[in-house]
Amino acid sequence: MTGPRLVRPDTLAAALAVLADEPEARCLAGGATLVAMMNAGLAEPTVLVALDGIPDLRGITVAGDGRVRIGAMTRHRETASDARLAGGHAVVRQAASVIANAVVRNMGTMGGSIAFSDPAADYPPALVAADAEIELAALAGTRRLAARDFFVDWYTTAIEPGEMVTAIHLPPAGPQPSLYRKHARTSGDFAIASLALVLDGDGARVAVGACGPVPLRLDTAEQALAGRLRDPGAIAEAAALLVEASDPVDDVRGSADYRRRLIPRLLQAAISELLDTREAA
Amino acid sequence: MMDDRQDLVLQVNGTRRRVTAEGSDTLLTVLRDQLGLTGAKRGCNQGVCGSCTVEVDGWPVRGCLSLASACEGHEVVTIEGTGRDPVMAVLQRQFVERGAVQCGFCTTGMLISARRLLADEPRPDAEAVQAALSGNICRCTGYRKIVDAVLAAAEELAR
Amino acid sequence: MTDPTGIAVGLSIPKFENQEKVLGEARYIADLQRANVLHAAILGSPHPHARIVGYDVSRALAAPGVVAVLTGDDVSDGRMGAFIKDEHALAKGKVLYVGEPVAAVAAETEAQARAACRLIDIEYQELPAVLSPEEGLAPDAPILHEHLADYVKVFDAGSSGNVASRTHFDEGDIDAAWDQCDVIVEGEYTTQAQAHVAIEPCGALAEYEAGGRITLWSANQSVFRVQANVCESLGLPMTKLRCLTPRVGGGFGNKMEAHIQPIVVALALKCRRNVRLILTREEDFEIVRARHPFKIRMKTGAKQDGTLVAREIEVLLDCGAFADDSPGVLGYSLLMSPGPYRIPHRRAKGQLVYTNKLRFGAFRGFGQPQVSFAGEQQIDEIAGRLGLDPIDIRRRNMLAPGEPWFVGQQVASNGLAACIDAVETASGWRDRPKVTRQGKKRRALGMSVTAHISGLLGTGAIVRVLEDGTVVLNTGATDIGQGSDTVLTQICAEALQLPVDKVSVASPDTDGSPYNWGTTASRVTYTAGRAVVGAARAVEAKLKQHASEMLECGIGDLELRPGGSVGIVGVPGAEVSFAAISGRAHWAVGGPIVGEHTLVFDQMTHDPKRAVAIGLPFARIGVFSFGAVVVEVEIDDVTGKVRVVEAWSAADVGRAINPQLVEVQLEGAFVQGMGLALFEEMVWDGARLANPSLMDYKVPTSRDAPYAIHSIIVEAPEPDGPFGAKGAGEIGINVVPSAIANAIAAATGHRHHALPLTSERVLDGLIQAEAAA
Repeated sequence: MTGPRLVRPDTLAAALAVLADEPEARCLAGGATLVAMMNAGLAEPTVLVALDGIPDLRGITVAGDGRVRIGAMTRHRETASDARLAGGHAVVRQAASVIANAVVRNMGTMGGSIAFSDPAADYPPALVAADAEIELAALAGTRRLAARDFFVDWYTTAIEPGEMVTAIHLPPAGPQPSLYRKHARTSGDFAIASLALVLDGDGARVAVGACGPVPLRLDTAEQALAGRLRDPGAIAEAAALLVEASDPVDDVRGSADYRRRLIPRLLQAAISELLDTREAA
Repeated sequence: MMDDRQDLVLQVNGTRRRVTAEGSDTLLTVLRDQLGLTGAKRGCNQGVCGSCTVEVDGWPVRGCLSLASACEGHEVVTIEGTGRDPVMAVLQRQFVERGAVQCGFCTTGMLISARRLLADEPRPDAEAVQAALSGNICRCTGYRKIVDAVLAAAEELAR
Repeated sequence: MTDPTGIAVGLSIPKFENQEKVLGEARYIADLQRANVLHAAILGSPHPHARIVGYDVSRALAAPGVVAVLTGDDVSDGRMGAFIKDEHALAKGKVLYVGEPVAAVAAETEAQARAACRLIDIEYQELPAVLSPEEGLAPDAPILHEHLADYVKVFDAGSSGNVASRTHFDEGDIDAAWDQCDVIVEGEYTTQAQAHVAIEPCGALAEYEAGGRITLWSANQSVFRVQANVCESLGLPMTKLRCLTPRVGGGFGNKMEAHIQPIVVALALKCRRNVRLILTREEDFEIVRARHPFKIRMKTGAKQDGTLVAREIEVLLDCGAFADDSPGVLGYSLLMSPGPYRIPHRRAKGQLVYTNKLRFGAFRGFGQPQVSFAGEQQIDEIAGRLGLDPIDIRRRNMLAPGEPWFVGQQVASNGLAACIDAVETASGWRDRPKVTRQGKKRRALGMSVTAHISGLLGTGAIVRVLEDGTVVLNTGATDIGQGSDTVLTQICAEALQLPVDKVSVASPDTDGSPYNWGTTASRVTYTAGRAVVGAARAVEAKLKQHASEMLECGIGDLELRPGGSVGIVGVPGAEVSFAAISGRAHWAVGGPIVGEHTLVFDQMTHDPKRAVAIGLPFARIGVFSFGAVVVEVEIDDVTGKVRVVEAWSAADVGRAINPQLVEVQLEGAFVQGMGLALFEEMVWDGARLANPSLMDYKVPTSRDAPYAIHSIIVEAPEPDGPFGAKGAGEIGINVVPSAIANAIAAATGHRHHALPLTSERVLDGLIQAEAAA
């Protein structure tokens, strides 16, 4: 088997030039997913653009106004251990901390992970609930996209040819708590179902993971919850809306039916937990 | 199509080593087949079992998910390169003595992960050890004695 | 059986090969490097059931780097198989499961070999597939093994149609017994296929020696079974094949019978070169073997006071495409199905049915975890109906020392009572609430008991005194990491009163080792250990013969002295060293001192005066170890997820030759059993295995296993065991699924009849139980 040619740019501009010039070029971020696929014969890239030599893509910066910029090449380990990701941003940190295991978290990156858009991955629902924006760059310029518009379908994002993820932006976090709850068979497995919850004003932002091709977030469900977080009826109503909009599959991790039954339970449990946390604070 | 094998220079266990790799060759393949460093094992080639765990730039990573070509310019350390490290020596001795080694196929990867844990957290509790090692699968021991060996090593190093 | 003195037996010495393993210097099959080696690749069948119409290997033969291509036409008609010889080295005439090796290529590189496989053209005529035992039993079912009647079988298997074997045991008068029962519990249970997932995949390396003999290295649990399987399937005299073992990365039953060794040897013979094949993890899932799925119907009856009266079980086993160890699993699981209890009326019967799936075979527990899932739950159910404590009802009925096992074998040593006492005390069973709730979690205790037989088939040992008085031991038993090399060394050292560093153990070699059926069936410590003691005693006799001449006294006046000498009892200064004796033997009188002992377990399993036994795969099995476990589980009410919080596992192993190694067996068995109980499952999508990958098939990580596993050693010495020892390898797994199921039943009020106890199933059960309440 002939293997890929590896290009190792040390600037973003150089990387974008390769992506523009060579349409079949793929980005190599952490390699955790791409190399596994190559080993299994499921991917045979001819050109790889290694991103680990580009300083602009690394690191988490927090601006004075509380906005956060997470470079695409930030490793899960870094995100998981950054104490600045608190309050409404904790959901993203928690999601990072339950990806796979410590060794894989040394390799995997947020940009690489979201570009793959695995329906059972942890970042997508967390970023959607956190109202994140995904920054995409191409030779022609840069744009930003709301996370909920970035994840389009199974393993499909809104990335256009010649584009790559350069950063993930979080708006300033509110002081209220957030959480990411993951239900999986074993430690580090992909989620059977997951729930990202951010308390916001007198309501909450909710995104469900692993229950459809993309993270599930519904304005109608959040409207049902607004001002009524302690009302089991409202929570049930919100859950029912989420269940109806969900599109889970049967797979080795669980049945679609089970996933639908989990949504209301995860939602109720997460809201209770965050209300307790808020009260204790 | 021209021959895609290329010459690489890798920094392995403190030494510059010259290897010839296909673009798709992983670090694990090159370490085992060309450099004779067979301490890292191939248990699944999918990055799940952890028996291929080696260190790159001080961090445990999956040798089977690292492209050899992408490792140029980085420091690779395998179990064979830890011979002068007193921390690893204590870990190894505790593993040997406390029954933490059965078939041994997971052992080298487990030790690499354990060493990193002790660098980050010199006095972990059992739960922290379990969490740090959750990326190294052992099918033989049930993990109890592995965790105890790491705890004992931490205690010994703290003295 | 003598008591140990403390010089070797009873010491938790680290295994000898641990040091090389922690340094990364241990050489497993994939680490062996050879010059001039060819790489093999296998082409698997795309169909579950089909006739092979024809082959065209011309494109493959012409591919770059290819040296040989083999198909079924190129290998002998020989068939291998542990109980029923039904399997060829490569498929011949038809294929019987998706992935079955149909052809093989040897080439200069692995990539070339795999590429050439894709160029082999095979024409198939598809046949309807049998995907379950029920389908296999249907009157118009397609027949998988059309020549089943002609296959050599090592016992009267009752094979016909798609039924590979049948077994039936009857003791007492089961049909009349139900009327004597005040309470009867009846249920059907299903258990799933579990993959061994030894972290090392299977592999083999065949070295072509000048003169045409092959030296075969492979990941194995028995060099002798490898030799037999390869020679039977290739039609080779055994003298033409020497089998050796590198370090082995776990087995659990996966590496006991053949995997790809016959193919690798066939390629080496064809190419007249070294050939190597290491399976990928996917191939290891797909073409080796797995634990049998069971369908179980069980009925248990008792009197009002909890005395067990009757137990009846019927099982249906999915054999997969080839019989492998399956008839043994059927017979053994039925034999053990009543549990370690006194039950006057018992019936156990079952069938093993061929299907177009991967063969199922030996896996730690050998059918017991499955039948125990039913049996130990039914004991709890009866206890529940009668208002009895689960431990009390077991104590009331447990087999007492001296009482025989089902179908009649005498049980010499029996430490079951002590095991139950130990876990009862250690867990605080009596003093704590059995079920507690905290927020959205609930916890409960559950328990289970078991026995397991260790012994079985042939073993030998040779002990040789070297010129300097040290000793080398050779049994041929493969150490798969469990520590048999170290344990057998300890036994030998103890028998000769030597420190362990004066005894070394030879690596298994079919050329020079006396024979060991295999590292399986919890048998090496007991069976090979007995042979080692026998060989050491033979050496002792020769040492004393020399010493009596050298010291001019009667043999009866002599004793072994610690450290390696023979002396006159009561006369401290009168002694001669092993070195002096061995020198005399080598150079002057008698010849080098070699002791040997071989044996086959000889007690009959079945007493025809007590019971009827039809289709018993082995007439003589072994001695009984016993075990008990208490688990504490925690159930998450939100998701149904179960985690084990704490476990206390006690086992009567007769004598712990190396206590630390016994503990690791109990702990490792527990966690493997936990995987079987909670989430491991091989899933078929039609005829194709859907999850042959560690991404999709999950085994417990260090974070899933409880840290708080307490292993407790109980010793009820076995009279003819080496220093009283019995087996320890499997006793710890049998109890796990049933104990967890019992705990879940206590916590949720719902009794589960299917494994694994996934969070989905447990949540369903929770909801059902709440609705019923």
